[in-house]
Amino acid sequence: MMVEFLNNYFLMIVLASLLANFVISLYGIFFKPHYIKKVIALMIFSDTMNTFAIYIGYRTWIGGKNPRPPELTLHPSSEALHEFTLRAVDPLPQALVLTAIVIGLAVTLFLVFLGYTLYMHYRTLDLREIKRLRG
Amino acid sequence: MQRAVEVVVIISLVLVIALLLLLASEYLLPSESIRLLASFYLYATYNPSLPYYTVNSPQAVTAILWDYRGLDTLFETAVFYLAIIAGLALARRLYEESLREGVDLSKSGLSLIVKTVARLTSPMIIAVGASIALHGHLTPGGGFQGGATIAVAPMILIVVFSTLFLIKRGVTSDRMLFIVSLGLIGIGLTAISVFLIGLVVGRFAHVFQNMPKLNSPIGMPATIGNILISGTLWFFNLFEMFAVATGFIIAFVILMLIKGRWEVK
Repeated sequence: MMVEFLNNYFLMIVLASLLANFVISLYGIFFKPHYIKKVIALMIFSDTMNTFAIYIGYRTWIGGKNPRPPELTLHPSSEALHEFTLRAVDPLPQALVLTAIVIGLAVTLFLVFLGYTLYMHYRTLDLREIKRLRG
Repeated sequence: MQRAVEVVVIISLVLVIALLLLLASEYLLPSESIRLLASFYLYATYNPSLPYYTVNSPQAVTAILWDYRGLDTLFETAVFYLAIIAGLALARRLYEESLREGVDLSKSGLSLIVKTVARLTSPMIIAVGASIALHGHLTPGGGFQGGATIAVAPMILIVVFSTLFLIKRGVTSDRMLFIVSLGLIGIGLTAISVFLIGLVVGRFAHVFQNMPKLNSPIGMPATIGNILISGTLWFFNLFEMFAVATGFIIAFVILMLIKGRWEVK
């Protein structure tokens, strides 16, 4: 009973901090005038979304035992596979998030290079200034 | 006007988050069961009693990544490559300009202790990355994670020595681009390898096939000797490691090389 309460409480802490991250990173993307700060906020936003996706694939403790990662460590006998299917977490969100992380890294690299050319062109990365310059 | 826009944005954010919470309320606390699809993946990923559905890989994430949903990952690799190429196209001229300026290598970089430690640790980092990638079908890890780990070693060398040190040692952008292309060609060839074998043998086979299927009995072997390689998964992880590692190394080298040309306004 206590274990169940603590489990749910810790999960709610994770969820609450994810929501806080979500709101703060969106604020950063919209209201921070500096280009690099926008990119950092975008990275935090994408990581928050990835953690949400992994959270969907999680499952509760069954009979006082924690869920296992989706790796089979025993010989694939029928009992081992049955127990594995009963206790392992969902592998599909993890696979999708893995591709999303690499895409996010590549897009961030592209944005950083774009920021470099922006600086070379305007000699500033403050988007208010760039909006004012119009050139 | 500005205030009004901000208020509207904040209110709409709150409404959207409320909607997301409503949609996600089913999943807020994880349940004991998982979706049927996930159960199938977990049950079939390394199950010799289901010969036409299994991948023979104990690691379900890699099995989904490179077999069940392999085409997704193939196109995702294409997106990664395009982003690297776009970044190169933006910074190419600056890279060549920076190369012409000479720097005294003996005076650049950190102290002798740091340099020695960096010389010792960077091969170990590369070994760890290769191990993560080459055991990707057995343990958590794979080509992406191994490649990203390997790309850390040149980053340390850039900080400790200098970017020109790395370039003098042969880590030029042309050579790295060549290795990225080799990795991508390897991924493409692995994707159609079973199809090509089928053409040679004269049997029907699918593109992106790994294990033998019901209507195409040829396929990649699950083991070589006594070692589990899970068919194409091992080769995909190997080539992906090269592509991701060298792709990131290109970006790091160019970004750090043009660092000296920033001027304060």
